[in-house]
Amino acid sequence: MSRAFALLGKELADLRQNLALFLPALIVTVVAIFMPVMVAVIVPAVTGERLSDSGDIEIALEMYKKDPVMRSLDPEAAIQAYVFQYFLVMLVLAPITSGMSVAASSVIGEKQARTLEPLLVTPITTLELLGGKLLGALLPSLFVAVISLALYLAVVAAVAAHGVFGVLLGPRTLGVVLLIGPLAAMVALQLAICVSSRVNDARTAQQLGIFVILPIPALLLGQMFGGIELTGPVILWIALGLFIVNIGLMWFAIRLFDRETILTRWK
Amino acid sequence: MPSAVLTASHLSRRFGDRLALEDVSFTLEPGEIFALLGPNGAGKTTTLRILAGLIAPSTGSVEIDGQPMSPQSAPHLRSRIGFLTEAPGLWDRLTVRDNLLVYARMYGLPSPGTVVDEALERFEIRDRGGDRAAQLSKGLKQRVALARSLLHRPRIAMLDEPTSGLDPASAREVRDLVLSLRAQGRTILLCTHNLDEVERVADRVAVLSRRLIAMGTPASLRSKLFAPRVRVTLSQSAEPFTGVLRAAGLSDVSVEGRSLLIGIANSTMATPDVVRRLVEAGAGVETVMAEEPPLEDVYLKLLNPGGEAS
Repeated sequence: MSRAFALLGKELADLRQNLALFLPALIVTVVAIFMPVMVAVIVPAVTGERLSDSGDIEIALEMYKKDPVMRSLDPEAAIQAYVFQYFLVMLVLAPITSGMSVAASSVIGEKQARTLEPLLVTPITTLELLGGKLLGALLPSLFVAVISLALYLAVVAAVAAHGVFGVLLGPRTLGVVLLIGPLAAMVALQLAICVSSRVNDARTAQQLGIFVILPIPALLLGQMFGGIELTGPVILWIALGLFIVNIGLMWFAIRLFDRETILTRWK
Repeated sequence: MPSAVLTASHLSRRFGDRLALEDVSFTLEPGEIFALLGPNGAGKTTTLRILAGLIAPSTGSVEIDGQPMSPQSAPHLRSRIGFLTEAPGLWDRLTVRDNLLVYARMYGLPSPGTVVDEALERFEIRDRGGDRAAQLSKGLKQRVALARSLLHRPRIAMLDEPTSGLDPASAREVRDLVLSLRAQGRTILLCTHNLDEVERVADRVAVLSRRLIAMGTPASLRSKLFAPRVRVTLSQSAEPFTGVLRAAGLSDVSVEGRSLLIGIANSTMATPDVVRRLVEAGAGVETVMAEEPPLEDVYLKLLNPGGEAS
């Protein structure tokens, strides 16, 4: 496995010289933070109308207040917590975006620079090669997930009503961002690696990754309008589903990533 | 008789309907430079990839140090091979040193930092160790790639077009490095279009055009295809002396300025006899040299037996 770590070291060193790859993840994080702040803080402040006064949100607020943690909050803080919790799902897009950028660039970059063949003539096995590549994209994704969550929480602490920060700082938040986020990112980057073996530019690989991104806004809308509630068990079921998909993708990627295919068909 | 370092037996490889390689067999002996020649698409790179265990032959087998190459043994056997790919394939954003360091770790070398420092020294690129690979000239990139392929001191070095695209000075440096590898007892498989390079360094040559057309030392291939000739340069015009030689039974005599080109293959007369006859006839002999056709002529004649060599 030391060869996989040697490759991982290379991937991370290479990434340090190519920080622009994180730009899409940064944009996604900013948007994911800005949207709930806009809905929960800026719009009420500008219009002078409190969220808790809105009849449309009353029912949701009642549902949300069934949560024991929320009962201690005043109605405005509760509805802010509700909004920030729902938009938390958007934060999952940040590690997915960075994972896909890194993975697509890493594999296609090697193809374009013709750096794969020298690597393939070393004693490295396909599993080690793939492991190094996966970790090289996954670790930055985890880093992005942690940083984006920290930024999100910092903004909540700075602008939201008293008590909202405490509500958000719970296992549900950590489950969404630090469990679903990296697992979804891993699906995205494995898909990017598989797609990379059939296309020649990173952009195409990233565009095909939309299939991974699409379920996230769908989940957000499902929460708002479809009655989906991201409770602890739901988060665990989603995580389990993503884990199984990851295993399948890993199996598929190993088959796609064999030396002969790379050397004779990757053009 | 030293045992073969590498044995290729009846290698064939098919890609779909296309037969890229057909029944190729040869061995590599310890400490020799073996050149694989052939036109584009002749199967040279495919052969190298099969030998390195990167792709499997459709039929045939490869043995390295007597051990058969298989998907299971390939990772282990690859550690005995240093493979220089046609493109240097360096990671542009990494420094030269970091490029080498990753490979030293990949080969599981003890004290990778020390190994890399030694390689930088040996290949005279120490002062460029901190530069990013993207900043290097093509010649330097090739030198770093060569250093990378030999970091683990492999028994066999497979070099695919090592001087391709290099200026004459850089090409010469690479050639000198190849010769120094032979001096260290390593076996070198050189895959190239550069016949001059082969002429200068190769011990044996194989000409490939999907199948192995010929194999042997450059001298043996020459003698198979071209009759031995002698060039005698005189201090005066050579024309008057052709009659002397023809009278002595030499039919293959031609003139190039002050030189006589004499075919001696079908004659019982040896070169000293030819020179003696000329001197007796009053010729001022300045130089006597064996006339060797360039390897290019040999190569072209092998690939196109019915056509003119040059």
